[in-house]
Parts: sequence; C-alpha cells; structure tokens
Amino acid sequence: MINILTLLPPSLGQLLQDAQDAASGSVATAYDSVWAGAAVPIQEMSGLEDVMLSDDKIFVVLAVVLIIWVGIVILLLRNDARLKEVERSVEERISAFDDGL
Amino acid sequence: MPNEPYSSVDSTFIHLLGGPVVSLKRYLIVRNIVIFWMTCVILAAFLLPIPKINILEHTARNLYFHVPMWFTMMAAVFVSAWHSFQVLKTGDLVPDIRALQAARVGAFFGILGLLTGIVWSKFTWYVGTDVWWNFDPRQSMVSLQLLIYGAYFVLRSALDDPDKRARISAVYNLFSATTTPFLLYVIPRQMESLHPGAEGNPAFSEITHPVMRLVFYPAIIGFIGLFWVVYSQRVRVALLKYRVTRDPEL
Repeated sequence: MINILTLLPPSLGQLLQDAQDAASGSVATAYDSVWAGAAVPIQEMSGLEDVMLSDDKIFVVLAVVLIIWVGIVILLLRNDARLKEVERSVEERISAFDDGL
Repeated sequence: MPNEPYSSVDSTFIHLLGGPVVSLKRYLIVRNIVIFWMTCVILAAFLLPIPKINILEHTARNLYFHVPMWFTMMAAVFVSAWHSFQVLKTGDLVPDIRALQAARVGAFFGILGLLTGIVWSKFTWYVGTDVWWNFDPRQSMVSLQLLIYGAYFVLRSALDDPDKRARISAVYNLFSATTTPFLLYVIPRQMESLHPGAEGNPAFSEITHPVMRLVFYPAIIGFIGLFWVVYSQRVRVALLKYRVTRDPEL
C-alpha cells in the first residue's frame, strides 16, 4: 500500500504520524496517558458481561442487529400510519373536488 | 385509458379505476407476520450453533443474510415481469405501477447483496490482500444485471406520457427479466468462482449443514416478505401520487 502520509503537506502529515505512533503505542502522548495510567478495573464480571463477552462476543453483534431491526420496524409502522392519514385526507379533498366538476 | 379517478379508500381496500387495487387488510396481516417472522430468524441466526469451518468461522452466518438478498431480487424480478406482462395484455396503468415498484425494490435488494458480498469476501478469502473486488463471475454478472435494470429506470424517465411509458417500458422490462436468471445463476455456474455450485465447487446442497438450512430457508421467506411489505408501501405512495397529479411515476 502507498503510504498516504507522504502525499500530505508536512504539518498535517506530522500530525497524522503522531496519531499513528500513539495508536501503535510507540510514543506516549497526553491522549493515551489517561488510559495507560488508569487502573484496569478488576472485578467480577456482571451477569450481562458474562453473556455479552462469551462465544467470541457474538451477542454484542446480535444486540446491534436487533437495535437496527427494531428501528426498521418502527420506520415501517410509522410510514404506514402516515400513509393511511394522507390517503384519507387526499380522498376527502379530491372527492369533493371531483364532485364539484 | 379511461380518465376516471380512483373511486375511494375505505377501511379495507384502495380502489382505482373502479376496481380494488390494494387490500389494506391483507397488507396489515402480512406485515405483522413478516415482522414477527424476521425477528425469530435474526435470533436463530445468531443463537443457533454452527459448524466451525476454516476461513469462514462465524462469517458462515452471513449465509442467512447475504444469500436471501439474491433470492429476494429474483422474486422481485418475477413480480415485476408478471405485472409488465399484464400491462401488455390489458393496457392498464396499475400493473405498470406495480412493475416499476417491484423492480425498484428488487434492485435495492440486489445492491445490498452486492455490498454484503464485497464485505464478506474481503475478510475471508481476500484476507491479507488489498483486494475488495476480484471480478468473481457472479459479482460481475450481477453488476451487469443491475445496470440493465438501471437502464429500465432511465428509459422510464425519458418518457412523459404515462400510457406510452407503460407499454414501452413493459417490453424492455420483460427483456431485463429474461436475462436475470442467466446472469445470476446460469453463467456464474460455468466459471470459476468463490460461490457454491460454480465450476469445480461443491453445490450448496452438498456442503450445507442441516442446522444452517433450518435458518436459511425461513430467512429467504422472511426477506421476500419484507420485500413485499416495502413494495406494497411504495405502490400505495405511487397510487396517491397518481390520484393527485395523474402521473404515478415514483
């Protein structure tokens, strides 16, 4: 792959390089010291974590997909409700208009 | 073409040109079944154990989502072609509305199938390479088919008179429906491909575990049902547009 950093202006390239170094852990910066310094919480896994982290964390994916699916279903139902409303009002107004002709 | 408007919307039917067009009662029943059915399919798709296969691992579950996109597109193509045939037979405008909306939603599912296939292959067979698109015969042929449907939409947009548009585009739509099974199923099976059933690959029926079929077949039915719900919604919107502007194009 072409290193995209070489194509950028020097200052921006340097900024991205710093970010990349920080991400790979080779240079410590103010951004990651918060995380590096923080004590890793050591406690019993809660019931929810127990489930969500098991089986290669597939239940996290299931949760995400279910949220999306519920969102799509709500969208479908709301579309139907609005469609019905518009169908009724168009019918009332245009019928009256046609009768007047 | 009679120039009368559609007569009424009562609690169960939308009428157009004197006849019932959309059964709202049937729509509601099917919609609710589809919602419940698909929720069960999604749960089963993630919760049932599957055999561990090299390269695929958990991505084998994509079988439940990626493959039904193509079955749904194929079903949509049948629906669209059927209504185009009706246009040529009767000259009515309503089947033309249905043919267009089925083709639109079908093409949408086709695009979803293409995108999910790209993501799936990138992180399985193409892993460790920079390849996202490797001209797998199936992908190429399907893209071609989507372009053929793209031309259908462009053709429609070039014609202003609804009756003329209905007839001319119905002829073209029958052509695009005819090429679909060949580009989706016949030709890709004659060439080397990642897909099952291709030259040198075992067929789907030889390699798929019964547990996966238990979810896969209901998923196909569910997604086709979902297609029907979205398609019916769009038909209703098109009827509304026709009612107000005398042009159902959507």
